[in-house]
Amino acid sequence: MSETKQALRNTLVLAAFLFAVLLIWQAVSGLALLPSYAFPSPAQVGGRLVELAVDGSLWPSAKASLVRMTLGFSISAALGLLLGLSMGTSEVVNTCLRSLFLGLQTLPSAAWVPISLLVFGLSDTAIYFVIVMSSTAAMAIATADGISHIPPVLLRAAQTLGTTRRAMSTRVVLPAALPSIVTGIKLGWTLGWHGVVSAELIKSSVGLGFLLHAGRELNDAAQVIGIMLVTVLIGLVLDRLLFATVERRVRTRWGFAPAGAGA
Amino acid sequence: MTGAQPFRPGADAAATATPARISLEGVTKTYVTPRARVDALGPVSLEVAEGEFVVLAGPSGCGKTTLLNLVAGFEPPSQGEIRVDGKEVAGPGPDRVMIFQEPALFPWLNVLDNVAFGLRQHTHLSAAERRAIAEHHLELVHLEGFAQAFVHELSGGMKQRTALARALAPAPRVLLCDEPFGSLDALTRERLYAEIQELHSRTRKTTLFVTHNTREAACLADRVLVLTARPARIKRVFTVDLPRPRDFYDARVSALAGQILAELRSEITEDRGTTHERDKAGP
Repeated sequence: MSETKQALRNTLVLAAFLFAVLLIWQAVSGLALLPSYAFPSPAQVGGRLVELAVDGSLWPSAKASLVRMTLGFSISAALGLLLGLSMGTSEVVNTCLRSLFLGLQTLPSAAWVPISLLVFGLSDTAIYFVIVMSSTAAMAIATADGISHIPPVLLRAAQTLGTTRRAMSTRVVLPAALPSIVTGIKLGWTLGWHGVVSAELIKSSVGLGFLLHAGRELNDAAQVIGIMLVTVLIGLVLDRLLFATVERRVRTRWGFAPAGAGA
Repeated sequence: MTGAQPFRPGADAAATATPARISLEGVTKTYVTPRARVDALGPVSLEVAEGEFVVLAGPSGCGKTTLLNLVAGFEPPSQGEIRVDGKEVAGPGPDRVMIFQEPALFPWLNVLDNVAFGLRQHTHLSAAERRAIAEHHLELVHLEGFAQAFVHELSGGMKQRTALARALAPAPRVLLCDEPFGSLDALTRERLYAEIQELHSRTRKTTLFVTHNTREAACLADRVLVLTARPARIKRVFTVDLPRPRDFYDARVSALAGQILAELRSEITEDRGTTHERDKAGP
């Protein structure tokens, strides 16, 4: 009872805050300190987004980014799981790959774009490459960490109940590491989303990154800000609705406290 | 009737007609680390008959768990031979299921699937048969109402009972129990003593049970082996002929527990005399 009340109150507070931000934005843009092509009002941004939606350029681009992301991220998740599994089960592999991956993680997603264009040219493969390079390392490390934190007694319990060496990974190791894997996948999705938009900025004729780039070429700040908002919105909705739900369910099943309570 | 006798290797095996389910011959375990060499166990020779309930009692850290780990096949012995049903132990296997100090249940499975876990190897069973076996074993430990519960929703005693059901479901020949009730409160523990005696009389599993609780030993065992301090050797054997089921507070159980305790105490005092020498060589 009081928990739902609390949640409702938090939602109202958040809505009021966002509305206040919009009001202040509208008021500041009304002062005309900067020309409107550089600092548009929220109304202009909203109007431009409606135009883009109506003339049919917004949806195909959002769809293109999502489709690229789905394919690229699937490859990356499969790779991350496999690499993480071998890191988690082999000390040698872990020693070799961990510092390499930690190093790679310091690279911003956009830093992969030039090399991917040089190697793969102006193709969608270049975009997939950027997604994979942006997100695989994080997922591999999260998987390996999850595996290294499995209580040894769980592995022994599985062995004494007759689990064969070959069946251990799928029946025990990966399920036992699941909370950490889910967190890694959630993080990997965010990093991959950075990657796909960064790659589209420089190369492509459709996609959210392309619309951002086109907005800059046309000196259209309303379009740039509008697409930024759409990018944030899609990322947020997928994170909250898809991954956060999975994460919550896993954590409930494990009996952990909910992650990021109140978020 | 309660009798104590000095330990004679093989004496009990000669007395029983059926072949020993578990036999240890001159088994030792030494851990060698870069800094030290620790003799944890032995040499120990031991025969456990089919259906026998043997309790290993010893001072903490004496190597009781090491002995169980060797029989379970988690580690190989440094010397000697361990046979189960005449076959040398070469790794963990579902014929010897171990129950640990902690329940070690799988949090990603519900209670029923935990109990069914060891049945996945039995490929000749259909899914429905596996489910029926798991449900039956859940009933044995009186948890049939919790089949769909998550592991973390159970109390400590319920978790340990689930672990017991999970161990029994694949019909192992040998049960290895490593202080399974050590972390439970007294009330829950005493209820479980009744349950485990009832289960044992029904299933007659050959059981090796480690504890440092002497009353628990007297209450459950056909035979109590008192172990020495590290490296663990068999110091004295108590054969327990008290009628079953035994009450935890039965006067005869208490009397025997007292004898076992006296034997353990003398071991701890004797140990004190020798630790100094060992410490010089040890870690």
